[in-house]
Amino acid sequence: MASEGARILVIDDENEIRRMLHVALSAHGYDLAEALSGKEGLNQASIFHPDLVILDLGLQDLDGMEVIRRLREWSQVPIIILSVRERESDKIGALDAGADDYLTKPFSMGELLARIRVAIRHVAKTEDEPVLSFPDLTLDLARRIVLLKGEEIRLTPTEYEILKYLALHSGRVVTHGQLLRAVWGPNYQGETHYLRVYVGQLRRKIEADPAQPRYITTEPGVGYRFVTAD
Amino acid sequence: MWYNEFISRFAVLKTDSYNRGARSRRLSLLLIPYIWIIGFIAVITVSGKALERTFDLVNIVLLYLLPVLIAAVRWGLWPSLAASLLGILSFDFFFVPPVMSFTVHDVHYLLSFAIFLLVAFVTGTLAARLRAQAHEAEQRERRTAALYLLSHKIAAETDIQQVLTTIVDTVSTSIGADIAILMPGGTNESLQLAAVSRGSKFVLDEKEQAIVQWVFEHRQEAGPGTSTLDEANRLFVPVHDGERPIAVLALPTSSRHTLSREQRDDLDALASLTALAITRLQLAEEAEQVKWLAESEKLHTALLNAVSHDLRTPLSSITGAVTGLLSEPDRYNAETKKALLTTIKEGAQRMNRFVTNLLDMARLESGILKLNREWCDMLDIVGVALKEAREMLPDRRFSVQVPEELPMVRVDFTLIEQVLINLLENGAKYSPPDSSIAVSVAATETELTVSVTDQGTPVPENDRDRIFDKFYRLRSARHVSGSGLGLSICKGIVEAHGGRIWAASRSGTGNTFILSLPLEADPDKTVTTIEENHGE
Repeated sequence: MASEGARILVIDDENEIRRMLHVALSAHGYDLAEALSGKEGLNQASIFHPDLVILDLGLQDLDGMEVIRRLREWSQVPIIILSVRERESDKIGALDAGADDYLTKPFSMGELLARIRVAIRHVAKTEDEPVLSFPDLTLDLARRIVLLKGEEIRLTPTEYEILKYLALHSGRVVTHGQLLRAVWGPNYQGETHYLRVYVGQLRRKIEADPAQPRYITTEPGVGYRFVTAD
Repeated sequence: MWYNEFISRFAVLKTDSYNRGARSRRLSLLLIPYIWIIGFIAVITVSGKALERTFDLVNIVLLYLLPVLIAAVRWGLWPSLAASLLGILSFDFFFVPPVMSFTVHDVHYLLSFAIFLLVAFVTGTLAARLRAQAHEAEQRERRTAALYLLSHKIAAETDIQQVLTTIVDTVSTSIGADIAILMPGGTNESLQLAAVSRGSKFVLDEKEQAIVQWVFEHRQEAGPGTSTLDEANRLFVPVHDGERPIAVLALPTSSRHTLSREQRDDLDALASLTALAITRLQLAEEAEQVKWLAESEKLHTALLNAVSHDLRTPLSSITGAVTGLLSEPDRYNAETKKALLTTIKEGAQRMNRFVTNLLDMARLESGILKLNREWCDMLDIVGVALKEAREMLPDRRFSVQVPEELPMVRVDFTLIEQVLINLLENGAKYSPPDSSIAVSVAATETELTVSVTDQGTPVPENDRDRIFDKFYRLRSARHVSGSGLGLSICKGIVEAHGGRIWAASRSGTGNTFILSLPLEADPDKTVTTIEENHGE
């Protein structure tokens, strides 16, 4: 396994979750450390030097958001947060504060492992990489060409920029805010309806069935994710 | 206006200056009957003189009874007495010998005079009493009618404050002074201003506050014209239902005036009317409260039953599968192990959906549900809901039909997604496992509709509205597990969005659940235009 031996710090005050994560992740070859509170988690992070942090947003002592902020003051370690369905704004806040991805409780182990792999690989592809290849879909960044099953498809400049940004962050969640900032600039923060329209158009061009998208999936209330056949 | 008559009885309660003006006007009114009487008697005397030769004096004296009767009927006792006295004097002076003198020669005439006076007095009294009775009856009728109309007016009100305002406004506009109603309220149940004439500043000083409290507690009136605190400058009338005090009426009044019996009666009537209206509403409120409590009690029980059932059923399957795997792991081969693990997974998913629904319902019920409205693509919501439904029900076939062009709709993404998941799950529950479930989206100028159609047995027409009620479950569906929460949550969420949801059966087979959401002015048309201009 590519990520074998990677060190993961779990910050969660619920014993059962920690135990379950410990068993499952150890079985996948990860090296684990655990913390029961936000403060302990911050300490552990400086001692254990994890390759990834799994952080529950519902901690007793410190606000999860505060943990992310303090961690980001000195570390770029990938952070995956655990949250509940009802708290979309918390998820967005945490992602904007610097978390890399999130999972909604209850989550499946498959999902968690996929998120961990993407985050650790730190696949943030760069524009130096001239061609992004996915199954049936290729983006040639240098020539601004998109090929679907080998055939060139015509995208408007906005559609192209959206696809490019999502593909560069493939496998990871991209919030509405991040996407709007990247494509339209900082003055279009709240204009999610722009996004809905363009993502809808984009899906109609690249997805075989726009009602069941294969590449660009929606993260309800949060944003989008470019799915890789990982 | 209709109530003026009733209200004018409070007119004496107006200010002194008004009373003074009224008194001088009344004085001049009082003199008019006597002038008429003098004129009438003069006419009789002149005509009597003309008839003197043909008629006997006995006949002429009878003529003088006419003004007495007329005065009695028209103006009452005193003018009639005046008419009889003036009449007998005129008769004596002008007709009884010696004429043109009050002297009487024949003593018999004195007896005649006495009888005349007696007759005049008796008829006058009787006529006057009759007249007073008629007048009183008329007055009473008018007052009753006015009270009836006022009571009719406030009977239509469903809010105590509104009733009080109506009473206060009606009475005070007519008497041109501020009246107020005080009721217990606040934390210490002290008497507070409940209603006062519009725009007036009604302030009670400390002493008056004490009087009000006393009036309320002792259910006795106080103020001018009463036996208590005659020197106060407001009249305080208690309002009670015979057992407990309810409120206090405060009326401005002139300090020297004593209330007449009618005014007393009217005030009492007004107080009773107020008491009746308030009691009626308080009783209605209490009944509503009791009904609500019973209702919530019922809901509580239903909820507990649902929670215990809906959590225990998946818990049982999970516990069963897990203990089986734990106690004898070697007894199961890979295939049966997978079956048990799938059971566990499905049980857990079911519990998760149930908890989600419970939370949504709690948020809907408590009113803390805040819609996080955003512009959404319905296709997107359908896609996410279908993805979830497929994970939940891997063996089901789903089909989707969405038009090429679809307007954006401003809704709470996750809540509408929850509605769709509930509808899909509901459809799967009540239709044959191998049948497919179809989702279709359509839009008009003003609304966007999403239909979820299954192949199940159609819901009887009578039940189509009721299936959206909380905990309502079809009799025929007892064998299907479920809490009866899903559809009521759908309804709650859709209605919070200003939309509608209903069930139909197209062509008599299967059920279609349709949710309709209102469309707002779509901002994307401009976006599309921008894109086209800047395009390729």
